[in-house]
Amino acid sequence: MDDRTFVELEARLADLGAAIAFPATPPLAAAVAERLRRPAAPRRWSFGRSLAIALAATLLLAGIAAAFGIVVGGLRLTFGPASFSPGPSFRVGPGLGVATTLADARAAAGFTVRVPTLSALGEPDSVYLFEPPSGGVVTLLYGSRPGIPSDPETGIGLIITQFRGDISPEVFEKMINSGVTLDATRVNGLPGWWVAGGEHFFFFRDANGKVVESTLRSAGPTLIWEEDGVTTRVEGVGSLAEALRVAASLRASATSSPGG
Amino acid sequence: MEGRPLLENEWVEAARRGDASAFEELVRLHQEIAYRTAYLVVGDADEARDAAQDGFLRAHAALGRFREGAAFRPWLLRIVANAARNRRRSAARQVGLALRASRESASGDAAPSPEALLLADERRRELIAAINTLRADDRVVIGLRWFLEMGEEEMAAVLDCPRGTVKSRLSRATARLRDALGGSADG
Repeated sequence: MDDRTFVELEARLADLGAAIAFPATPPLAAAVAERLRRPAAPRRWSFGRSLAIALAATLLLAGIAAAFGIVVGGLRLTFGPASFSPGPSFRVGPGLGVATTLADARAAAGFTVRVPTLSALGEPDSVYLFEPPSGGVVTLLYGSRPGIPSDPETGIGLIITQFRGDISPEVFEKMINSGVTLDATRVNGLPGWWVAGGEHFFFFRDANGKVVESTLRSAGPTLIWEEDGVTTRVEGVGSLAEALRVAASLRASATSSPGG
Repeated sequence: MEGRPLLENEWVEAARRGDASAFEELVRLHQEIAYRTAYLVVGDADEARDAAQDGFLRAHAALGRFREGAAFRPWLLRIVANAARNRRRSAARQVGLALRASRESASGDAAPSPEALLLADERRRELIAAINTLRADDRVVIGLRWFLEMGEEEMAAVLDCPRGTVKSRLSRATARLRDALGGSADG
């Protein structure tokens, strides 16, 4: 390149620098300080219009980036000083999506929805479909069952959540108190995690990037694993052995065999 | 020049020991450059704010890994830029850089003529329009160097590339900018 042109262009760029209209810098110091004082306050988070979800960003939002995380499919288990206040009562909030039937959820989900076939469980009492992540999230809710008492506050006994595990932009997070223990286990021959011992929480982002709490404030131990590209979480049974039984009984078709 | 880095390092040290107000001070010191860096990367004010905030929080959490005696700002900006890059793909739209509203001429008697101001504005508009036609990467390189006046070390941190690569990336971007300006003006 002609040196003179280059030098002239650089002079013009230097001049332009002073005239660039950067948006006014927001009061980050105050916001950051506030966040550090109260490490996780999802309701206050505002994410603008982000469409997909930045995994790292979510970590930061919790203010716990140094904390380690474990990814199971699309689910990231994040360990840190979660400070969610326990909810007063269970209610099915936007985090679960819309109530639907099992058949409709199966038709709408972008993956094979599996249902436990233990006779003690029977059919789920409610089925919810949450759609923004590609393929959606399907949640099966069961009230009390033999050996599975329902939560006195929520009426929920067992919760089974499934979503595609390979939808990396969408992040499902579980905030876990430091008192929580995590044990590696095998689920149907695949690696999984048993999360127990304290309050933990499930949330994710909606299509607008907003953090949505699942509102399932269950403190029950949870089994999480990924199988055939689908991440499944079983929550509400008291022991790992029971959770593994539920997991082993999952079938793509609970009531009818698939086409002979 | 002697005192300030020392002071900053003291803040960093205090922040590492868990002093929240020290970290807040570090944020205050660097929020503008962090925000503008994020803005160059994501091209959107809201995303830039979130990215910068994310970056600061991540930096706070990573303070334990900060190498004592290292320069804080490039370290911070690298983290902020990473947070911003994670958001770039998700930004619904990228707003190009814009010019400030034309500055009113100084009230002093030596103010340039309205014609001269107009011409200067016109040339700036032409230049920024050409910059906005560049690919995002080129825009970022040029913006870091000329609008945020960063040196090589910081540019390397933000661009996440070796220092030796900064110069060649900048000169390629500048060459493409010259091409974009094309024959539209040779005055």
